[in-house]
Amino acid sequence: MLISLNWIREFVDLPEDLSAAELAERFTLACAEVEKVEPIEVGAKGLVCAAVVALEVVDADRGLRAARLDVGGGVTVDTVTAAANVGVGDRVVFAPVGACVKALGVIADSEVAGRPSSGMIVPGDAIGIAMALREAIHLPPSVETGTVLDEAGFDDWVIEVDNHSINHRPDLWGHYGLAREFAAIFGSPLKPYSVASLESLQDASLPEIPIDIDDADACPRYSGLLMRGVTGQPAPLWMQLRLGHVGLRPISCLVDLTNYVMLELGQPMHAFDGDKVQRIEVGFVDAGTHFTTLDGVDRKLPGDALMILSDRKPVALAGVMGGADTEISDATETILLESANFHPHTIRKCAAHLSHRTDASARFEKSLDPEHTVLAIQRFFELARPEFEELSLASRLSDAFVKPFDPVTITIDPEYVQRVIGHPVSGEEIARILTALEFKVSSSTDAAGRETMVVDVPSFRATRDIEIEADIIEEVARYIGFNNIAPAYPDVMVRALTVNPVQQLEGKSLRLFTGGLGMVELYRYIWYDATWSEKLGYDASHCLALRNPAAAGLERLRDSLVPGLLAAVEHNRHHFQELRFVELGGAFPCATNGAGCDGKDSEHTEVRRIGLMIAARGKNAEDTCLADMRGVVDAWSLSILERPATFEVADADASRPWEHPAKTSSICVGGKSIGRVSAIPLVLRQRIDEHLAAWGVAWAEFDLAPLTDGLTHFEPLASAPSFPEAEIDFSVLADASRRYSEIKSDLATFDDPLLRRITFVDSFEGKSVPDGKRSFTFRCHVGHSDRTMTDDDLSRFREAFQNQLTKSKLEAR
Amino acid sequence: MNLEQLKKELAELSDETKKAIAEIKSVDALRSLETKTVGKAGPIGSLLGKIREFSPEERGAVGQTVNLAKKELVAMFAAAMAGIKSVAADAEASKASDYDPTLPGTAVRIGCAHPVTQVQWQVEEVFQRLGFLIETGPEMETEYYNFEALNIPALHPARDMQDTFWLENNMVLRTHTSPVQVHAMQRHGAPLRVLAPGRCFRYETIDASHENTFHQVEGLMIDKHISIANLIAMMKLLLQEVFHRDLKVRLRPGYFPFVEPGFELDMSCAICGGSGCATCKQSGWIEILPCGMVHPSVLRYGGIDPEKYTGFAFGLGLTRLAMMKYGVKDIRGLNGGDMRSLVPASRLAGPVILEKAEAVKGGSSC
Repeated sequence: MLISLNWIREFVDLPEDLSAAELAERFTLACAEVEKVEPIEVGAKGLVCAAVVALEVVDADRGLRAARLDVGGGVTVDTVTAAANVGVGDRVVFAPVGACVKALGVIADSEVAGRPSSGMIVPGDAIGIAMALREAIHLPPSVETGTVLDEAGFDDWVIEVDNHSINHRPDLWGHYGLAREFAAIFGSPLKPYSVASLESLQDASLPEIPIDIDDADACPRYSGLLMRGVTGQPAPLWMQLRLGHVGLRPISCLVDLTNYVMLELGQPMHAFDGDKVQRIEVGFVDAGTHFTTLDGVDRKLPGDALMILSDRKPVALAGVMGGADTEISDATETILLESANFHPHTIRKCAAHLSHRTDASARFEKSLDPEHTVLAIQRFFELARPEFEELSLASRLSDAFVKPFDPVTITIDPEYVQRVIGHPVSGEEIARILTALEFKVSSSTDAAGRETMVVDVPSFRATRDIEIEADIIEEVARYIGFNNIAPAYPDVMVRALTVNPVQQLEGKSLRLFTGGLGMVELYRYIWYDATWSEKLGYDASHCLALRNPAAAGLERLRDSLVPGLLAAVEHNRHHFQELRFVELGGAFPCATNGAGCDGKDSEHTEVRRIGLMIAARGKNAEDTCLADMRGVVDAWSLSILERPATFEVADADASRPWEHPAKTSSICVGGKSIGRVSAIPLVLRQRIDEHLAAWGVAWAEFDLAPLTDGLTHFEPLASAPSFPEAEIDFSVLADASRRYSEIKSDLATFDDPLLRRITFVDSFEGKSVPDGKRSFTFRCHVGHSDRTMTDDDLSRFREAFQNQLTKSKLEAR
Repeated sequence: MNLEQLKKELAELSDETKKAIAEIKSVDALRSLETKTVGKAGPIGSLLGKIREFSPEERGAVGQTVNLAKKELVAMFAAAMAGIKSVAADAEASKASDYDPTLPGTAVRIGCAHPVTQVQWQVEEVFQRLGFLIETGPEMETEYYNFEALNIPALHPARDMQDTFWLENNMVLRTHTSPVQVHAMQRHGAPLRVLAPGRCFRYETIDASHENTFHQVEGLMIDKHISIANLIAMMKLLLQEVFHRDLKVRLRPGYFPFVEPGFELDMSCAICGGSGCATCKQSGWIEILPCGMVHPSVLRYGGIDPEKYTGFAFGLGLTRLAMMKYGVKDIRGLNGGDMRSLVPASRLAGPVILEKAEAVKGGSSC
């Protein structure tokens, strides 16, 4: 929303010693955010009114025409103009030789297209009407040729207010409402709004416009006035300048008047051709009905489009735009002026459906003051009367107010207001602030005998903005000045809230992974990139789909963190030899795990996941990375959950190409399976990028939710043994085909009075190990609880364990 | 054997031992000689074993003699040991001058939390000290919690402010962390102090300063007499703790349907100190904290009686804060997955020999 300071000054006297920027700052602090403050510096000197006497094309390619102008006092001049909107008989803003505007400098005689050119028909954009780019500005017939144009109205300051910050304030979508805030800010009176009296518009001898409203909710009020004697003449220059300053393009006096009143009161109006529209119905039409709006676009209407009809024929899209058939033209002599109030959602829905938001619909959707419909007509008539010599009424002011609004009255407790603000403010001060904003305040006493205040909310604030006591508190607080409220720490009750166990696990886990476990945390998008899925050979069609993806190919929400981490490996592999990533975030698996799911049902849940990836370049890197990954997961489990993680061989899910057919395990903690660990198969690495063939990439992915008891579990501590213990290592060879898990369960059957524990030390193949064999080293921890062990004890144990090894087909190395 | 013979034998042992010790250079060899000489199995041991061969009258003197000799030998070994150790220490000391104390240490692998996570933790720590509970909510949210329960009914113009990603199951990707306000109220009741960081999504075009995926942190405090003055004090504290300096702040009206009154809190620009620069669009202020008093309707949606309790809520853009702190120029790098823009260079590079000064590096000191 653009604000013209000249316009504001018409309604309130602003302090002369404050700059526009300072005024804007005060407005920002008290009311709504100002985004920009810009001067309009035209610097007009000596501009006059000239009438076009004759026109002749001199250069059709460049759109240049020679114009003979009557500049008053019987003098004519010849000039060349590029303005296309000039016709013989028009009165235009003209800069004779010697006149000056900042954008053009001092005008001198010149030669254009081989023609002498004296002076210049001034384009609108040179005199602050930016939308009239290279167009002449027309003047009404009442301005005599040769009249020197008043220099005062050209210069102005324009303040741009952020529209979002006034979405809830329909009263701030017009200059009079804005002026009311400025008046309250500076304590200056708001000048009365000058309008034609109601009596002058209610001539009982004139007919009433028949107005039938089908749906009072959709159209609570419709006011209209039929006027005769209008013409297609331009608006007065001062009005064109103001409209220009706030970004509108002047069109004709009638159109400009409707816009002007809208920009003052926020009330949109529409002028129908009064010869074509003399009765009004408001209602809905069948979906699919075609209607051509005055911008010439044929629109297919949705079923909930509210229409203005005349004799049941659509003549306007209510609150959005008028129709082409009933549009006013230069020849129009009679207009039916519409000023109505519509249901905000109805207008918003229709404008959104047609993707056609207009200045009018943007205002209607903010819940306009129903009292403004008649006031706007009164103002229109007041401004039109001096412009049209022949203007007369052809109807009474007709007003169908079919759904009156309930006035809003709020009882407030000044004590409470003061307490919520946290700053001393007296009842008198509250009353003063509210009165300045045109609230009516009276004293009362509540049932408990306490002093209360009854606040009557003015209609222009009562449509949605001010509803409850908290809204009144805001009004009081912002006029005390938020920045005058002294900060104070709260007095509060102590209360231990139940922690969110998953959140705690997440925080602790992430700190460990990115700390001691050496992982770099990444954020990846929560949707898959179809190009990448395709490259991986992953069919994501069962994944939950977005209706409006950020771009084509980004429709599917991820059901695994692995593809995103793998993309990061591919991205970073050029710069690093080793990569360790962690990501914590949501994934959206489908309950049926993809079976019969098209991504549109509601079978998808959100789970919080941890994804890990370790990648390294080098020979045998895959197995090393996998071993590292298991080590990392185990270290995490021991540190955070105080339990070891175990890994159980699992079948790879063939639909997930990142699961290695032979190297996938499930991760189990405390008897619960929480996720998987695996390696990216070579075929997939090759498919992604031939360089990745030389890498090993291991991943783990698991959920934290099953571990909600994780933070309460702990392992009790043992006491140190009283007598020395010994560790005895046994290195053995096993057939390479034998699994560790098998050997492990074999050895787990061994028992001996001295045995405390057997642990795995290492295993390897290659060099010093015969082909087909694998070396294992196990460590036996032995001790006696009552005495120090003797050499005999140890020899006996060695022999006993050696027998177990032989029994388990493990040969000593 | 008589006493004289014994004395002679002991004298010989002493001489031999003295000679042998002179030859010895190592601690281990000396120790083993000591065991061999004065241990049970050595000559002293065997001489002590022979005491029985003497007459009972002689035995006292014999024992004394042998023990005296043993004592002398032990002292001889101790002296020799001290000598050898000091030689070894000298040798070690002279070798230590070869040690280069200027060499870098062994590179230990360290990880790195995402810059946004680090800022998040910083904010969490401030509020945990103030007794706030950290809460979370889903990223896939119902329309009810994302909008309605926050006093944004269907067709409300405020929905325009938050262009929304819609899902085929009629849910949305949450457009803000504010839905956690209502979840937390329903979970815990009042009084309540909650902080809820998390990822949010807005349907917007991505460029250097706009992302469709970003992080916020929501704060909510509800108690018997929470006032605007309390809100201002807590917000000032938050910014001071995060930016480590006493910043100027100002409050102005801001409109958010779930608070009433609603504010925009600006802080003096950390880049230019308030004199006006490109970052603050020449205003000297940076809009950083939308906040306000919780709307009574929102309290009611959360099951809390607005007649008994009041509260404030605020939202802080963590992604934006991280960009300010670390001097991140392009927001896209934060979701981009390139380690070089997520991990401080010194962690990636290892011990640096030469680093060329980089003019564009570095953020504000927060």
